[in-house]
Amino acid sequence: MPRIPRRTEVISEFKSGGGKVAAVLPIHYSRGLLRSFGILPVEVWGPPRVDVSYGGAHLQPYVCSIVHNALSFLKTGGLDIVDFILVPHACDSLQGLGSILLDFVRPKQPVFPLYLPRGTRGEDVDFLAEEFRSLYDSLSELTGKRPSEEEMLECIRREEKADSVLAELHERRSNLDLDNMEFYRLIRSREFLPAEVFMEIASKVLETATDRERGGIPILLSGIVPEPMDVLNVLDGLGAIVVADDMACCGRRLYPAGLGEDPFVRAAERIVHAPPDPTLGSPIGERLEHILSLAEKRGARGVIFYDVKFCEPELFDLPNLRKGLKDAGLPSVTVEVDINDDLPHQTITRIGAFLEVIE
Amino acid sequence: MNISASLRYYWNVEIVGKNFLRWQRWRAERNPRVPSKWRTDILAPPLRIGARTKELIAMHYLEGRYVSGHRPVAWVTSGGPVEILQALGYYVLYPENHGALCGTRRVVVDIASEAENSGYSRDICSYARTDIGAMLSGKTPVGKLPKPDLLLACTNICQTVLYWYRVLAHHFDVPLVLIDTPFVYTEASEHDIEYVKRQLEDSVEVAERVARRKLQYRKLKEVLKLSKDAAELWLEIMWRGKNRPAPISVFDQFIHMAPIVEMRGERVTVDFYAAMLKEVDERIARGIGAVRNERKRLLWDNLPIWYRLRYLAEYLGERGISVVASTYTNAWGELAPMMDPDRPFESMARTYIYPILNRGTGSKLETMRRMIEEYHLDGAILHSDRSCKPYSIGQVDQRNRLIREYGVPALLLEADHDDPRAYAEEQVASRLAAFVEMLEV
Repeated sequence: MPRIPRRTEVISEFKSGGGKVAAVLPIHYSRGLLRSFGILPVEVWGPPRVDVSYGGAHLQPYVCSIVHNALSFLKTGGLDIVDFILVPHACDSLQGLGSILLDFVRPKQPVFPLYLPRGTRGEDVDFLAEEFRSLYDSLSELTGKRPSEEEMLECIRREEKADSVLAELHERRSNLDLDNMEFYRLIRSREFLPAEVFMEIASKVLETATDRERGGIPILLSGIVPEPMDVLNVLDGLGAIVVADDMACCGRRLYPAGLGEDPFVRAAERIVHAPPDPTLGSPIGERLEHILSLAEKRGARGVIFYDVKFCEPELFDLPNLRKGLKDAGLPSVTVEVDINDDLPHQTITRIGAFLEVIE
Repeated sequence: MNISASLRYYWNVEIVGKNFLRWQRWRAERNPRVPSKWRTDILAPPLRIGARTKELIAMHYLEGRYVSGHRPVAWVTSGGPVEILQALGYYVLYPENHGALCGTRRVVVDIASEAENSGYSRDICSYARTDIGAMLSGKTPVGKLPKPDLLLACTNICQTVLYWYRVLAHHFDVPLVLIDTPFVYTEASEHDIEYVKRQLEDSVEVAERVARRKLQYRKLKEVLKLSKDAAELWLEIMWRGKNRPAPISVFDQFIHMAPIVEMRGERVTVDFYAAMLKEVDERIARGIGAVRNERKRLLWDNLPIWYRLRYLAEYLGERGISVVASTYTNAWGELAPMMDPDRPFESMARTYIYPILNRGTGSKLETMRRMIEEYHLDGAILHSDRSCKPYSIGQVDQRNRLIREYGVPALLLEADHDDPRAYAEEQVASRLAAFVEMLEV
């Protein structure tokens, strides 16, 4: 597999070229809009294993580790290099984080919240387009630039192209000679690589695809984020291959191309019509149908729900999803983690037992 | 409308139930009795209006028991714009209020366990677990809950309600109307307001279709006026807490807030709060305080701890501490001036986007600071509610600012509004004791 540059290298290189960098919290936003200002979005999904006591000075223990860690990372200087922080409204906890950043923590960089609508109606698209217009104004003030509609559309289309390459990686996953860790390192590099760099690397990997299917127990992985990523090594060690993905950081962001010629509307359409996601208000039935169809298409024999503790959007859906999967003959197992902790041996044993059953 | 359901409704509710409950209230009003365990040495006797509160709540749930087939039924989130549904003749049920009632009756563990045994995590909101448990098992202290024909979730109190109502929609297979209210970090923009307004307008069509009747705009204005009147009266009642001694405590408010939450837009609610205000004014005239020997006055932030209201009232009352104001009960009145019956959709959009739970952490701190000043309070208890993240996140900084910037003693009390398993009595007692000491009572 081609070498994937490290996050810090990418940031330094982008900044040395005169660009700005944004730290973006989960989950949905428009990469194209940011890139049209010469801003590189670098996503912050935790990160795992930081000193959480810094976040604990502001947050209660029943707030999830992604939010705790993001705040701790910020307070320990992990985000010093970025020019601003974008906080999309994914859930009550991220809403709270955005709010305390603005009101109390007040980092040295500006903080921009972004509200995401919870429906797929016409007014949801219009509203999100307006949110993007507001963000455009804030970014103009920050950068002194006012990209034209054509420039914005060009950037949005480039991201659409990168997403279609990403979708192809997912489609052809079984034909790629990559283990789970390598595959996820590749697809998650979309979280920080510029689209053009990502496409170059991904295309090279796709060229290596063969007709031969990589062996292993095929599973579908659902949840928010596969952190700590050791879980992927565990799956490799147990002989499983993740052939289908419904993770918030990966598969739920395989956005379709927009239709509108207005860049704000086009960017909004992409997110509003994203694959089913509880944080976007998708009905449980749609989620179930989506997971079942993904599993069928990719030949997954079981589903692992890998969830971060205290994540309400995920937890509410689990009983109905698992029942629906069971009724359809697809077994599932749930694993709950704190992204700071090592995967307990008990959990590894459970995953192992589950894989044995579906094998 | 089904004729046999209507006949059953009229017989059980209008003829038997209503008259029985009226008689029960009349009896309680003629012979007011203080409950045997009531600590009259430290607290004023319960408000006489309590008999009417009981009648209203009992009547509401009795109606619910027989309403299916007679009127359309909607389940609505507590901060939801209920006026459109009221104007269309819906019977409206608030699962959160039912959850609170289960909390005060201490049946949450039994009912929520039904949800937990079906796979719902104990890390999700205890109101939701109680409601889902009731839905799955039929268990409820009110006899029976009617099945919804329509669900309405408004995100102005949290996103949790949307996850929860999606579960209900999946289970009952009925339409779910979503009123998504963008979070107000600093100030609502015009496109925020427009977005909410459009959703409110669009909700009419679904609600009409399910109810099989057309919305009369005259009726909507009338309902909105009744909502506004009731909310203003509720606000007046809370403002009476500025008197020394405060005639009612937040524990009284928690008990008597049910009608403003679940019966907004009804004439009976306006009459109820007018009568309550009169009684509160009588108390002021007679110098009666909710706590007999009021020495210190506090603010309560966040939802109540429903299963420990009496304990907290007595513990604090015994020490001469009256908790006279609450950001939570205040939320049901503070937006009343924004309602405008002549511009129903626009004013509803503005009103329903601004509840305290949909405002930023700084705005909430400002509300606390203002209330502390206006009510002449000596400190604040911030209930860090495990089940309510949007209310609780920010409290650590809010407490620190109250102490450091405003010199107001403030306590963060860890608990859960409905689930006693997340409440440690000894720990609460020792934290309260230390706080009381700090207040130098």
